[in-house]
Order: sequence, then structure tokens, then C-alpha cells
Amino acid sequence: MLKNVFKIFSRDLKIARRDSMALVIMIMPVLLAVGLVFFVPGLNDTTVNIALLDSDTSEHVAYLDQFAKIEVFGGENELMDRVAKRDDVAAIIPDGNGYEIILQGNEPEMVENYAKALNALYEIGATKEETTAAMYSFGHTVSPVKTMLVNMLISMIIMLSGMLIAISIVGEKSDNTINAVNVTPASQTAFVLGKSMMGGLIALLSIIASLIITGYYDINWFMIILVGLSSMLLSLIVGFVQGLASDDVIEAAANVKMIIIPIAGSIAGYELLADKWQWTMYWSPFYWAYKANMLVLSKTADWPTVLLCTGMVLVLSLAVYFFSRPKIREGLS
Amino acid sequence: MISVKNLSHSYSNDDKLAVKNISFEIEKGETFGFLGPSGAGKSTTQGVLTGLLKQQDGEVIVAGYDVKKVQNERFNKIGVSFEQSNVYSKLTAKENLDYYAKLFDVPTRDSVELLRLVGLDGKENDMAGEFSKGMKHRLTFARSMLNNPEIWFLDEPTTGLDPAIAATIKDIIKEHAAEGVTSFLTTHNMYIADELCDRVAFIIDGVIKLIDTPKNLKLQYGQKLIDIEYTDNGKIVKETLKTVTEADRRRIGEIVNNHDIQTMHSKEATLEEIFIQVTGRELV
Repeated sequence: MLKNVFKIFSRDLKIARRDSMALVIMIMPVLLAVGLVFFVPGLNDTTVNIALLDSDTSEHVAYLDQFAKIEVFGGENELMDRVAKRDDVAAIIPDGNGYEIILQGNEPEMVENYAKALNALYEIGATKEETTAAMYSFGHTVSPVKTMLVNMLISMIIMLSGMLIAISIVGEKSDNTINAVNVTPASQTAFVLGKSMMGGLIALLSIIASLIITGYYDINWFMIILVGLSSMLLSLIVGFVQGLASDDVIEAAANVKMIIIPIAGSIAGYELLADKWQWTMYWSPFYWAYKANMLVLSKTADWPTVLLCTGMVLVLSLAVYFFSRPKIREGLS
Repeated sequence: MISVKNLSHSYSNDDKLAVKNISFEIEKGETFGFLGPSGAGKSTTQGVLTGLLKQQDGEVIVAGYDVKKVQNERFNKIGVSFEQSNVYSKLTAKENLDYYAKLFDVPTRDSVELLRLVGLDGKENDMAGEFSKGMKHRLTFARSMLNNPEIWFLDEPTTGLDPAIAATIKDIIKEHAAEGVTSFLTTHNMYIADELCDRVAFIIDGVIKLIDTPKNLKLQYGQKLIDIEYTDNGKIVKETLKTVTEADRRRIGEIVNNHDIQTMHSKEATLEEIFIQVTGRELV
């Protein structure tokens, strides 16, 4: 059976490469990941950027370097050009006995205040060691906004894997080829697995590529792959059901897109609901998948929690599968 | 090779039967024609025999396999040519055949050779989606031969083909019959059935009305007639006379002896005429 699964997968992949819509679906996540890196300023960086002149004192530069990302420029013109760029940079230059803070004007207030406070601390000679506050950390080392955006991208990739399946099934229907496969030694199970492999593998590769592009090199890859594979199951089931129920590619894509409602609802529920109301989202496998991905991406995941989330995704997805199985079997006959 | 006993099938799982308690046997190497108008139950029967439709009732054995039990390896011995062409439009003709060939567990025929056989040589690397309806039909037909089937299901194999290509397809079917391949041919074209089949079954409203050889049917149901054209007092006269009645036989002799015969043709009933005679329905 494995031979036939692979043959069906290879053929689907060949056809997908020749289908413009499938091709767009395959490339889109990577383009979006690149877009996240290039067009969302500061996505990889949650510190404040400060521009200084090389004529500044080395003590000033060294002090600020402890608390901000420092860029040093040879002249005022270069420094001004840097401030004028689209991301948020505060320039601090010597002015007589004091300093002058130069801003583009559209920076968040936090950048302005941070630059002011940091320079004031330097001027009074304050050090980190002088603080009386005890230090406690949640251990989050990754930007929460970036993690959320990348996690949303993963959710979208999972939806796209279902769309790939649906497009492939509609293609089989319009070519009338399902019956032709049914009169070969390839079993229906091999057919389903071969098709799922196409959607699943492309989605998995897209997730890995997106994470590498967005800079998540040092996460627990076993965890992310486990969560990705389990959360794809539901999307694949939806892809089969909608593909078999749709008459053309546009209808199939539109139907699969409906899955975005529970996905978006799950993300909103996780991000916005208070802890005491989180249980209202427990019905959604996408909620558990999003939660697990969030923990893995922010490097705060542990195996028991990831396994619990994955288990919930699988149990809920299998419930949907057993509900949809008669329809899938009937459609493939 | 094929044994069907008391087969019934209902699409709605109730007493509305598309096929009603039919039974027949097909011997190895036989070409068996299943003839009837649209909606008679031909495709339903073929669907059950090929396993595409779930067997609900009766007993069906194909190539030694009980169809009721799921045994996909039986398809290594079976070839199916569908009436509606079913090829991957985004694969080339050769890629289509090569893909299906890889799904079988038995030695398969060379795809290029098969394409040449059905007149698609030179089209190996053309996308099947760009093919005409007839070309797709030929590709579907070629695919059914990939695994050198022992049992060959042919659903309207020459429909939509031009006469030259149809003749090629008929020759291929005859060659396979000579090699001992058992064929189950579903058609409403009585001329094809007459030319290719060792035996035919007439099916109508899900019921088999009769099974026999085309020759026996003609002998049993056909009336042998003779059309004669002769001159009588300078005028051309035309008469159709039966060879089986005494009066007509005497009249034929009288015309031959006393008149100048212009044309004389013997005529036997066609399968189509016999079908109408037996079932009371036309093959539409």
C-alpha cells in the first residue's frame, strides 16, 4: 500500500505544480513570511534603536549600549538620514554641556520617553545594580507580537493544506478519474493517504520555511512538527469533505475558506478572553493548536502541555472525522 | 470467469430495483454483449461486477474473486474501459498511462506501444486536457489494457469515434478475444454487438429477457426475406418474399423462370429488429 500512497502523492504533486491556484497556495505562506520580516518594522527586534555620533564620548555610547540597540554615525547628515528612515530611531547628540534628542516625529511615545529616561539615567550616573527591586521573570524571550503574527501564519498554512486537498479532489471529479483509480489495486485508504500526504507535507514544509524565514531557529522543532501534523488532520478532513461536495475549484476554495471562522474565533478567544473564560474555546482543535504553537514559539512550552494540546487536537479532529467518514467514503465510491 | 446469480441492486436501498434478480455465466475467452437501451440496468450491472457499486444481493464471482469481499488485488486481472473518458487533464497522455501502470502489481504494457495501438502515436507528450473527446476516449481505452487483463469490461467502446478509429478499436477487441481475454461489452449499438460478441443478453427495465448467440437469435426470431426486382411488360416490379412459406417459395421460382431479374437480395433480421421484437422497446 505504501508504494501506491507514494505514487498518488507524486502524481498529485506533479499536477499541483501545473495548477496555478495550487501553486499560489504553496508559495503564499513563504511570501507572507518574507513580508513579515521585511515590511513589519522591528518584528525581529523589541529593543529601542538609538543613533549616536562617533564624536560622542565612549562612556555615553557604552552606557546606552547596555539598554538599547546603538548605531554610530560619522556625521550629522548620515545620522539625520538614519532617523528619517521608516523604522523607529531616536538620535541623541551632544549639545553644549547637555544632549539633544532628535526624532522623526511619528515614533511611538514610548520611544521618545525611553530615550529621554535613558539619557537622564546616564546624566545622573544611575546603574542597574542600584535598583532595590527584586527580579522575577516569566522567561519570555521572544516578542509577543511577532509570535502572535507567526502563529497566525501557521494557522493560515493549516487552512491552506485543506484547500490544496479540496482543489485536488475537485480536479479528480472534473476529470472523472476517481472511478478509474477505484478499478486499480490501489485501495481507497491509499488514495486518501496519498492525497493527505500532498496537503500535509506541503503545509509542513511551509511551516518550517516560514519559521526559519521569521527567525525562529532555536525553537523545539519536534514540538512544532507534532502540533503542526495533528492540527492539519482537521484541515485535511475539511478539504476532503468540501472537495467532494464542490463542483469547481472556486466553490471548493470558498467552502474551505469557511474554516477561517473557527480558526479566527479560536485565535481571538485565546488572545482576548480572560483566563476564567478560556474554557469556552475548549471545543475548538484550532484553539489547542494555537495555544501549543504559542508556547513553543515563545520557548515556554513543556512536553506535558504540548502533549495535552496535541491530544485534544487529535481527539476533536477524530470526532469530526467519524462524523464525516460516511460522506467521504460515499464521495470516493 | 464471471458468474452472476440472482443479482439485484437498488440505488435507494428499497424495492425500486435498477437490476432485478439477474443471472448469467461467462466462460473464459468469451465476448459477452450486454445490450439494452439507456436506463435498462447495463451500467448498474457493470458497476457491481467491477466493484464500483456495492453488491447488495445475490452472488457475483469475477476472475475467481467474490465481489462482495474487498480484494483490491483482483484488479490486477481486470481492465475497465469507461464510457465517459476519465484521464488527468494536467498530465500528458504518456504520464497518464505511466501513472496507472505503477498502481498495478503485475507486469504492465509499454505506454508508448499502447498509445500507438489506439492511434495516439506522436501525442505522447501532449496534455490530455487538450485532447478531443475521441482522443480522450481512446486514451481511456488504452489504459484499460495496461495490465494485460484476463477480464475486460468495455462500456460503449466505440461511442463518439470516427469509423476508421472505431474499426481499429474493434480489431483490438477481436485480437484480445483470439488471445483468450474474456470481455464484458456493454452497448446499445447492435451492429457492434453482432460483430464482436459470442453471446448477447438483452436487458430491459433491469431484467434479462434472453441470452443467446447472435446467430441463434437470427435463426429463431429472424424471418429470411428476398427482395426481387424484375421487368414485367417493360415495367420494373419489386417484390419482397419470405423464404419460409410455401406460396412465397413458389412465387420466387415463377419470377425467376418467367421474368428478367434485375436485382435479387437475401435479407436477414438485424439484432436491433430482434431486440424490438423480443422486448417491444427500441434501443434509444
